[in-house]
Amino acid sequence: MPRPRPRPIRFSIDGREVEAAENLMLVDAAKHGDVEIPVFCYEPKLGHPVGACRMCLVEIEGIPKLQTACSTPVKDGMVVHTQTDRVREAQEAVVEFLLINHPLDCPVCDKGGECPLQDVTFGWGPGRSRFIEPKRHFVKPLELSPVIAIDRERCILCYRCVRFSQEVAEDYQLVLLERGAHSYVSTFDGHPYVGPFTGNIIELCPVGALTSRPYRFRARPWDIEGAASVCTLCPSQCNVELTVRDERVMRVLSRQNDEVDDGWLCDKGRFAYQAVHVDQRVTAPLLREGGELREVSWERALDHAVGALARAGARTGALAGEGTTNEEAFLLGRLLREALGSPHVDSRAAAALPAGLHRALCHPRRQATVPDLEFAHAVLVLDCEPVDDAPIIDLRIRKGVRRHGLRLAVATSRPSSLDANAALSVRFSPGAGGAFVAALAAALTGADSEELAERAGADAGSVSALAELLRAAEDEEDGRREVVIVWGERLAHGALADQTIGDLVALADALEVHQAPGAGLLELPVHANGRGMREAGLVPDAGPGLAELGPGQAGRASAQIAAGLAEGDLVALYLLHVDPLRALPDRPAWERALAGAATVIAHAPLLTDGLREHADVVFPAEAYPEKEGTVVHPDGRLQRLRPGIAHPGEVRDGWRVLAELARRLGTDLGVASAGEASAQLFAAVSFYSGLTLEQIGGRGLRWPEREQAATEFGEREAPPAPTRDRAPEHQPPTLAGAAANGALHLDSYRSLWSAPEVQASPSLAFLHPQQRAEIAPADAQRLGVRDGQRVTVCAPTNGQPAAGQEGAGAREVQATVALRHALTPGVVLLQDGLERDSANALGDPGSAVEVRPE
Amino acid sequence: MERLLFAGIDEPGLDTLEVYERRGGYQALRRALQMTPEAVLHELEESELRGRGGAGFQMAKKASFLPKGSMDKYLCCNADESEPGAFKDRELMQKNPHQLIEGVVIAAWSAGINRAFIYIRGEYVLQADILDAAVAEAERAGYLGERILGSEHTLSLVVHRGAGAYICGEETALLDSLEGKRGNPRLKPPFPANQGLYQGPTLINNVETLSAVPHILAMGGADYARLGVANSTGTKVVSVSGHVQRPGNYEIELGIPSREIIYGLAGGPPEGRAIKCWFPGGSSAPVLTAEDLDLAYDFDSMAKAGSMLGSGSIIVIDDSTPIIDVALKVAKFYRHESCGKCTPCREGTNWTVTMLERIDAGLATPMDLDIMASVQDHIIGHCLCVLGDSMAMPIGSMIAKFRDEFEAHMEAARHSSPLGTAPPDTAPALIQGAV
Ligand SMILES: Cc1cc2nc3c(=O)[nH]c(=O)nc-3n(C[C@H](O)[C@H](O)[C@H](O)COP(=O)(O)O)c2cc1C
Ligand code: SF4
Ligand code: SF4
Ligand code: FES
Repeated sequence: MPRPRPRPIRFSIDGREVEAAENLMLVDAAKHGDVEIPVFCYEPKLGHPVGACRMCLVEIEGIPKLQTACSTPVKDGMVVHTQTDRVREAQEAVVEFLLINHPLDCPVCDKGGECPLQDVTFGWGPGRSRFIEPKRHFVKPLELSPVIAIDRERCILCYRCVRFSQEVAEDYQLVLLERGAHSYVSTFDGHPYVGPFTGNIIELCPVGALTSRPYRFRARPWDIEGAASVCTLCPSQCNVELTVRDERVMRVLSRQNDEVDDGWLCDKGRFAYQAVHVDQRVTAPLLREGGELREVSWERALDHAVGALARAGARTGALAGEGTTNEEAFLLGRLLREALGSPHVDSRAAAALPAGLHRALCHPRRQATVPDLEFAHAVLVLDCEPVDDAPIIDLRIRKGVRRHGLRLAVATSRPSSLDANAALSVRFSPGAGGAFVAALAAALTGADSEELAERAGADAGSVSALAELLRAAEDEEDGRREVVIVWGERLAHGALADQTIGDLVALADALEVHQAPGAGLLELPVHANGRGMREAGLVPDAGPGLAELGPGQAGRASAQIAAGLAEGDLVALYLLHVDPLRALPDRPAWERALAGAATVIAHAPLLTDGLREHADVVFPAEAYPEKEGTVVHPDGRLQRLRPGIAHPGEVRDGWRVLAELARRLGTDLGVASAGEASAQLFAAVSFYSGLTLEQIGGRGLRWPEREQAATEFGEREAPPAPTRDRAPEHQPPTLAGAAANGALHLDSYRSLWSAPEVQASPSLAFLHPQQRAEIAPADAQRLGVRDGQRVTVCAPTNGQPAAGQEGAGAREVQATVALRHALTPGVVLLQDGLERDSANALGDPGSAVEVRPE
Repeated sequence: MERLLFAGIDEPGLDTLEVYERRGGYQALRRALQMTPEAVLHELEESELRGRGGAGFQMAKKASFLPKGSMDKYLCCNADESEPGAFKDRELMQKNPHQLIEGVVIAAWSAGINRAFIYIRGEYVLQADILDAAVAEAERAGYLGERILGSEHTLSLVVHRGAGAYICGEETALLDSLEGKRGNPRLKPPFPANQGLYQGPTLINNVETLSAVPHILAMGGADYARLGVANSTGTKVVSVSGHVQRPGNYEIELGIPSREIIYGLAGGPPEGRAIKCWFPGGSSAPVLTAEDLDLAYDFDSMAKAGSMLGSGSIIVIDDSTPIIDVALKVAKFYRHESCGKCTPCREGTNWTVTMLERIDAGLATPMDLDIMASVQDHIIGHCLCVLGDSMAMPIGSMIAKFRDEFEAHMEAARHSSPLGTAPPDTAPALIQGAV
């Protein structure tokens, strides 16, 4: 859909001539004339105005009745009055009406001091009340959910929360019940309001009717300070404002940045700050002594680590994950490559890619942005689930469909939460994303796609229909075609990763995404700063700036690091914000690796299973509110993290620890401050060169939009598509070799809630998932299992007992059966990223597994 | 007096196709289908027919607002008739359903509409059953469905039963309810003619408006316009209720003296009683008094007198009823029916009722009357839909016209109240409490 192109007009407000964009709502246009019109229900983030509260009434010449400024688009020559007696009387009347049933319990209300109702009453209210009747009463406060309290007496029925649920999150849970003065907000079924985005209604509520339970009675607005940062609990990297009191994060609010988050946060981002201040936080260095991790001094921990690293030297591997900053990733790369002489670094959960492919993927002309999702003609969601992988992206896609007529197509192996919004949904077999991309690329380039579709386990007709949908996604007027492909990092798994990514680039090029500014690819990486870590050079096949490495300089990718540790080729493992047992594929291989490694050194704010059992040294790491540095959003936006609170206990900056280790190993990295680390990074990454932290500022800066990027990657010609010299080698999914009867294809996903921070946050912990085995009802019947039954899912045993294969790492998990009608028969869907019973214990998506009643 | 909509209304079996056709039914449709939609619309324009549902907007003008083009367009017949005092649509649907159906089919043809709904209030079970049967009959006879009577016109008609909310008679709330949502009014613009049901262009008309359509086509728009008076053409079915000897529906030519309806047709109040006030257009119309009985009963005269013709429902109140009872009845109805979406109506109706109750209980002072009057002023013109005004206007008119009676009532009630004869200025301490 074309982006709106505002036309400037002039209108008069309170006697002043003001310029504004045509059709801007009067409330917003008035601001151009420094006139504030009070509102309650108006919130453009929620879509069309509803005109419910009537707070914004103004007088417009030529219209006899007062009009709601929130819903009146400004026109050229309009004459508006907001200060006449008529308007003032109406405004006072509305405030009086709103207050007659409001409890006026400001002294004990969390909203007090930051309450729009207080402010509007003060500014536009009558100053006295004539109401002496009894007020309306409700039982209060009630738990709307474990994180939200609702006080219905304070509610002014502005509809904001209900509209959010209905029209933004589209969870359709919140409604108004009853009628008239008895109306109240509730979930339709009276159950708690639980979902990925519920906390946003707390910020939307203009009164103290919806308050955060973890924040209740913790602070007053005059006790707190706001600190701007970026949430790095997932790749959405929403901009946040941390509410800080006495060096503690008390709450997290959205710091609206339309280019990134539209002013929304998911509940993980909003509530998982609690994990910053829990007792189990690692706040001192830990050293394994006598089989136990014990707190030791920094000196001892560093000594021990340096000794082990010096011994291991080039036989060290290093991995980083989650919210590792660009600077940390960059310095870790230097520590390994320069101080230890080891090239074995990785930050990906999927297979390694050659530098050329990395560069092809992040070519500025192929790069889509977050707002592109809203205005594109078509979006293809490919082998990912935005609500789990980067939830704010899910909201943006929904917005595009709802408000801008975006055509959405979904191509995934499992049912998608976006299916209901999609014009077309296509399913393929678990793990067959690569074959599917090959088929779709073939269909788009006019090659034969039928056989490939079959290998992907997809319906050939649907693949053609999808190709047609994407090809036909053109503007009715000017014929422009803007297609955005949102894809998940996991698409590039397995031996054919290069080929798959080559096909993906070919697919994008066939759609000519480089010709349209609003089109392109958007990858959802597994790690929150997946993109930044790569650009900082923490991948085995590319250096900082995704530069080609010299001959013989390539290192091992994570899977090969695991193999090396198990076999003894490598002896030490360095882990920066990552527990491979939890975050990476093939848990059994990692269990062998961790058991085989002579030394495991980790930076972590919280201990997870892998570290608890295998780490020899644990450095207490910063949680993101303590961090200073930069990260890169999936669309290429560099963003700044700024410390909102001091380091608790003995926590030290990640960059400082890495530099210190290098120094003790005899290499001076030359960084003495976070700023220096950033400066080094900017100098080392060709397309960041010349950047400063000031330029990145509070809103971030997209490097693909910089001139350097255009020069470096080539502005004019179409980007070079990587060559495909191998014929597609994708194998059709098969259960061959598995015990035919009980075998199913494994599919897996990582839930939004599978995070150590969720687990550690008291009021979010209830969301931390237990393993579920989702299967189609027909399979359940065939296997004789019921919904809710406990089962064991295991790698096929061909009649042998399942347990104890190859020593460590039993290939089996326990799960509770959940029937799912939308699931393709023959598939069992499990979760990844869990501490126990995670799907990565069983194998990659597509492998054969058995489901057996316990 | 000429009867159109009510011609032969009591003839047994008129609700069947057979009798309706025998009396010349569906001839107007045949005629309309011979004409172009534009020509049909032209006839409707000539008739100057104004909507009978309350707002009195010219029907043909509204139909002409629908955009041309091949998009899905809808017609919704508003049969939610829930206003106290209104019961004309009930009789029209119960006794002559085919007249309405014929009107729907013709109106749809004139505006290029292919899908129609009759949204009928939930309590009208009998009438909905009758309509369902009539729709089935009409479908069988080829008056509904694909290519009606061999013409280019295709129309489906569904009778949809509401769930008993007055607000669903407000046209946009009706659309939300029809779409399966909570029946709350929508913000206008966009008007239904542009974006109505399922966001498509939608024509919404009252049962009586649509029932008049076949007659306009039968006699020609110009001849229809000769009935009634300027700006209020045609006939109107008036529901007369309250203190009259012969309550019921009467079809009149617009513009006859109101006295002729209330006294001539409905027999006036019972022997020995006098009219205290009357609502000329349902409970939402400001009240008029006996002095206004000689006004012509048409849209403009009622508006000039400070009231409105509305849906044409006259409620007569005689001198045996205290005005406070009337006010309470009206206010309670609107408080109960307020959807609660917008502030002035939700809070104002509730506040008004509690004040009236206090007045009735003798716990009020004349100052409360001023507050109550100002609350009505604060509601009027400030709401999202006109339900709020529908309470505030009649209540405001009662305070203005019967202030003495309110005060006398207050005084009398105070003597028997818990406060006894305590001087009225005990209350201000409470009232003055600052926010
Ligand atoms: C609260 C409220 C209730 C209404 N109820 C009805 C009703 O029951 N029947 C009706 O025809 N119009 C009703 N109306 C008027 C409709 O909104 C609309 O104006 C009418 O249906 C248009 O039809 P007409 O032009 O044929 O009169 C109501 C309006 C309001 C504000
Ligand atoms: S709870 Fe808050 S956001 Fe929801 S309707 Fe009430 S005042 Fe508005
Ligand atoms: S005026 Fe009353 S009925 Fe109409 S929208 Fe407002 S609250 Fe609802
Ligand atoms: S802000 Fe305009 S009606 Fe609520």
